[in-house]
Amino acid sequence: MAGTALVLEGLTKRYGALAPAVDALSLTVQPGEFIGLLGPSGCGKTTTLRMIGGLIEASGGRVLVDGRDVTALPPHRRDMGIVFQNYALFPHMDVAGNVAFGLEMRGMKRGEIAAKVQAALDLVRLGHLAKRRPKELSGGQQQRVALARALVIEPSVLLLDEPLSNLDAKLREEMRAEIQDIQRRLGITTIFVTHDQAEALAMCDRIAVMAQGRIAQLGTPHDIYEHPASEFVADFVGRSNRIAGHAADGRITIGDLAIDAPAPVAPGPVTVMIRPHRIAFTAGGAGWNEVRGSVRRVTYVGDVLACEIAAGGAAFLVEQPTRPGAPPPETGTEVRIAWRVADTLVFPRESA
Amino acid sequence: MRLPALLLGPALLVNLAIFIAPMANLAALSFHEARPSGGVGPGPTLATWASIAEDEYYIELVTGSIGVALGVTVLTLLAGYPLALFIHRAAPRWRNLLMVACISPLLVSAVVRTYGWMVILGDTGLVAAVLRFLGMAKPPRMVFNLTGVVIALVEILMPTMILCLLAGFGRLNASLEEAAASLGAPRWRVFMRVVLPLSLPGVLLGCLLAFVLTVSSFITPKLLGGGRVILLATEIYDQAIVTLNWPVAAALSVLSLAVFGLALLLYGRLLRMVEA
Ligand SMILES: Nc1ncnc2c1ncn2[C@@H]1O[C@H](COP(=O)(O)OP(=O)(O)OP(=O)(O)O)[C@@H](O)[C@H]1O
Ligand SMILES: [Mg+2]
Repeated sequence: MAGTALVLEGLTKRYGALAPAVDALSLTVQPGEFIGLLGPSGCGKTTTLRMIGGLIEASGGRVLVDGRDVTALPPHRRDMGIVFQNYALFPHMDVAGNVAFGLEMRGMKRGEIAAKVQAALDLVRLGHLAKRRPKELSGGQQQRVALARALVIEPSVLLLDEPLSNLDAKLREEMRAEIQDIQRRLGITTIFVTHDQAEALAMCDRIAVMAQGRIAQLGTPHDIYEHPASEFVADFVGRSNRIAGHAADGRITIGDLAIDAPAPVAPGPVTVMIRPHRIAFTAGGAGWNEVRGSVRRVTYVGDVLACEIAAGGAAFLVEQPTRPGAPPPETGTEVRIAWRVADTLVFPRESA
Repeated sequence: MRLPALLLGPALLVNLAIFIAPMANLAALSFHEARPSGGVGPGPTLATWASIAEDEYYIELVTGSIGVALGVTVLTLLAGYPLALFIHRAAPRWRNLLMVACISPLLVSAVVRTYGWMVILGDTGLVAAVLRFLGMAKPPRMVFNLTGVVIALVEILMPTMILCLLAGFGRLNASLEEAAASLGAPRWRVFMRVVLPLSLPGVLLGCLLAFVLTVSSFITPKLLGGGRVILLATEIYDQAIVTLNWPVAAALSVLSLAVFGLALLLYGRLLRMVEA
């Protein structure tokens, strides 16, 4: 399969007079790419996915598949495989019947269908359960049937709406790898909706972080995590210290502390964000920000040591892997902490 | 015996006294013979059953009643199904309102509704007037014949049918239809392959009730049939009250009970098939 290019142009969905659920969203997906739509609940992920699949009408904008405008096509003529959050397996058909459905709709011959169904079930490692009813399957098995059903029609685009959210943690990890594997092997253009940032970072080629119906940032997982474009993205993807500061004369002051920013900052109130695990108990040097503070709270969880350090009137959460022979610092002691200037994320204060 | 079983006791006793015993009595009565005077002869004898089995009139009565009931059932289903589907799919805040609107005819007794239909369908009624207005010189007769009875029964049974359908639509949900559409099914195939099969439990329940209620319907065929539409229930009434032939009335009652039993059996079979 060569893969299909998917382009969204100014896609918009309005419900009544409310603020649009999806607001002029544009996105270009490369053939065979695995794109994640990541965002908090209610930001318009499902709405976007449903407009791509034709399950709801767009209020504005276009959906292009390989350059062809499909915005006006009904779902059954869009050639997209959809895996629903609740799987939506047909309860009155067995597993094989569910998977065969799309092929029957394409008028394929019986023998051919049987072979393809078997191959699709083997792909998701469910070949032995073909005669079971959906209600006789576990959540993970149902999810894989839903995946097989969407894949067997060899759709030009695969749309996944939080397909892993109903699974327990262990199964979720397994299915992550499995979906990723299958997607790579088939080279099928995929949109994956999730509100789980770890899932998005682990699986996707690129991630579109969404907020209030718009794309807040589009980039590779590395981009999104290391160079978040806004306070919202930095806060939503991964965990961060979030400290109020003030930029003046090329430096940033936090109470009585002064630190450097990686790039020039316009003077004014700013929010400084630092990932807790990027702060260490060391003396800094060139290219580092160093501050002194006192240990306020220590949480020891075996593999990770989390300390809250009070400095400059702010609280810095520091997380470090524990090391043999290094006892955790005592509460109340004075310590030095430091992090690289490059790890200092500075944003103009949003509600300033 | 455990407490739950004991608690069933009172209801069981009442049932036994006011339901099972009269039924047994009725069944026993059918094994007697009517005297010309109107009394009941000594039994037991198969004479009444034999006379019914030999009389073509009764055979036609039973098959005809079943035929009419099947027809009314199918028409009620066809009329009720789209409405039930519409209510099922309506937004929650409209749904209750629509439900109430659909069920509200049940607040008016079948007698009143039958009289209503007599007015509407009568020779100078609304329907005839409209047909005349549309240019039909001689509108067909719609009262005191089968047409009127069927129309009225369908309307009277529709709320029941819709309730049954809605009760049986539990497995139907929008995302299944969306899934089918995304797999390439145009709307009619979504209906045939997903909506219809999943609604069959409701269809069966609705059909069972509509069938049984038609076979046992009395007021509507009596009033709207004008004595020309004779179904099992009206014939039982005539035999018991007019002709005073109680054994025949009893035998016909047992027969209609047997018809219900068969319908129930068929329902059970089919239900197991569609729910498997
Ligand atoms: N049928 C509807 N009528 C009115 N508003 C709607 C409708 N469907 C969705 N919305 C609104 O559109 C916005 C986006 O909804 P959407 O389902 O796309 O969110 P989401 O990002 O998928 O959230 P979640 O992670 O909770 O699934 C929400 O504010 C929601 O309230
Ligand atoms: Mg959603």
